Amino acid sequence: MRQVLSWVRRACVGFVRACAVAAVALLVPAVWAAAVALWIWWWDAHLWSGIGPLIWACVGTLALARPVCRMFRALVARWTGTVIPAGYRQPGPVVRMSTGYWWNGYSYERTRRDALMDQKLRMWWRDPAVWRDLRFTAIAPLTAGVVASVPPAGVVAAVLGFSQPGLPARLVGALGLVVAVAGAPYAWRIAEPVAVRFLRPSSTMALADRVDELTAQRADTTVAQAAEIRRIERDLHDGAQARLVALGLSLATAEKLMETDPDQARALMRQARDGAATSLAELRELVRGITPPVLNERGLVDAVRALALDSPLDVTVDDGVQLRLDPPIESAVYFGVAELLTNAAKHAHASTVRISLARDDTGLVVDVEDDGRGGADVRAGGGLDGLRRRLAVFDGTVEITSPSGGPTHVRMMVPCASS
Amino acid sequence: MRVVVAEDLYLLRDGMVRLIEAFGHEVVGTAATGPETLDALLTLRPDVSVVDVRMPPTQSDEGLRAALAARREVRGLPVLVLSQHVEQLYARELLADGAGGIGYFLKESVFDADQFVDALERVAGGGTAMDPAVIAKLLSSGSSNRGLERLTEREHSVLSLMAEGLSNQAIAQRLFLSESAISKYTTSLFGKLGITDDDNTNRRVLAVLAYLNKT
Repeated sequence: MRQVLSWVRRACVGFVRACAVAAVALLVPAVWAAAVALWIWWWDAHLWSGIGPLIWACVGTLALARPVCRMFRALVARWTGTVIPAGYRQPGPVVRMSTGYWWNGYSYERTRRDALMDQKLRMWWRDPAVWRDLRFTAIAPLTAGVVASVPPAGVVAAVLGFSQPGLPARLVGALGLVVAVAGAPYAWRIAEPVAVRFLRPSSTMALADRVDELTAQRADTTVAQAAEIRRIERDLHDGAQARLVALGLSLATAEKLMETDPDQARALMRQARDGAATSLAELRELVRGITPPVLNERGLVDAVRALALDSPLDVTVDDGVQLRLDPPIESAVYFGVAELLTNAAKHAHASTVRISLARDDTGLVVDVEDDGRGGADVRAGGGLDGLRRRLAVFDGTVEITSPSGGPTHVRMMVPCASS
Repeated sequence: MRVVVAEDLYLLRDGMVRLIEAFGHEVVGTAATGPETLDALLTLRPDVSVVDVRMPPTQSDEGLRAALAARREVRGLPVLVLSQHVEQLYARELLADGAGGIGYFLKESVFDADQFVDALERVAGGGTAMDPAVIAKLLSSGSSNRGLERLTEREHSVLSLMAEGLSNQAIAQRLFLSESAISKYTTSLFGKLGITDDDNTNRRVLAVLAYLNKT
């Protein structure tokens, strides 16, 4: 009994779903059918009078393609849980230039509204997803549309067949009913494979996305690099260079005073020596900020171990690997670990940290786990965001789990060829 | 003393040689690469050597490796390691064999020629000499050896000065205490760290090792 009930329920649900799939898939063909019907209707009046409905059908197809695809994607995601990425291009920011005009990434416009309109149109026109959507509106009726229409069509046949007298009509009606009932639980399922096969972003679109991503990363890297170079220049200019000038001055004065006031000269020379020591300490700090010497000398694993020794926290390092990666990757991971250790001490108030370095088939995996109070999140422009950007350059990823109350677990993954 | 100087930068090597000779010691050999250093250390067997960490051909830690390799061959061969930066990691590796006769300093320690040569002589005598920067880093690190937690504050400061390589007399001067008081502190801290009175082991080195050993 229960089996029958559940089967009936499945059949009802399936029937409704099949109707929905058929309706969405056949929306565009319905528009065309209406246009052709109008044309035939008006055929007697004038041959060319049918052009109007056809033009309207074309416009309708263009306008409906994207909503139809959206609905299809939404239905499939809702019923089967299969999420199909849409892959539409995302509009860039529309910004006001110092001239007062608005720049939308393609052209300058007088007002923000114009800029947005222009951007929308250009993006729509250039987006390869448009062609995919149009193709889908042509394919969907022939595949999903036909199959999903079977149960509704069976019901229609049943209604028509039973409403007319005569045995053949009754037979057709009975056949329609059987087909409708038997097909109802299954017919809608055609939607998933069709959507997966034809609604996915094409390789061209994936490439376009990748190009966009890389362009953004390149811009990020260039900006970060320029800022870094400026910082180094400023540090050298205000620090070591200035100190060397002072050093020269002290020595010159000492040379002058050597005969007349040896005590003063000696004091100046001592001062010069102190100055040299201070500028060395400053340079050391600067060098450590650019690339830590131990990283150059020993590679990532030992550099992380040195970092652990220097940390005020109780840090243990599990290193199952002795590996040398490309220096830029090592540097990015090193500074990532340094950032996370700083966070653990400063924000999470942790007392112990566990770092593990390992490599699997795909690349390097670094886990950093602390016993702090958690609640770390990625704010734009924050330290973790910076970490993500630094690793993104190498297609690396950062996963952060940090529930409020702790603990925080961060996993950095960087793909790399085995060496 | 017979000294070997291993340093790849000519100016620094030359300056160091002159400084050491000015103090009446003899520089018996110089080296500019890692392999040369190892060769000089093993064939010349100097009383003490000054070795730079970063050297050709790889410009990584060639010098440090040469020093460690030489000390594996000849236990306790006195080496004073110089570097532009000090790392606890390297300090631990140098001290790990517990044989003494080791020093680890920032390059700018040569600015104070007296102290530098003093450290060199201490290392030649089988003692240890650590740059205050290494000790400061250790002090700022969080976790430490269990035995160290039982030390009093005064014993702690005595131990950190001992780790720098100072003698009891020098520690007494620094802390404005009498030498006998210092020797009392050292005896009690040796006891707390479980270092027994054995002529064959360098107790001061073991104490420093305990200090550094914070795993």
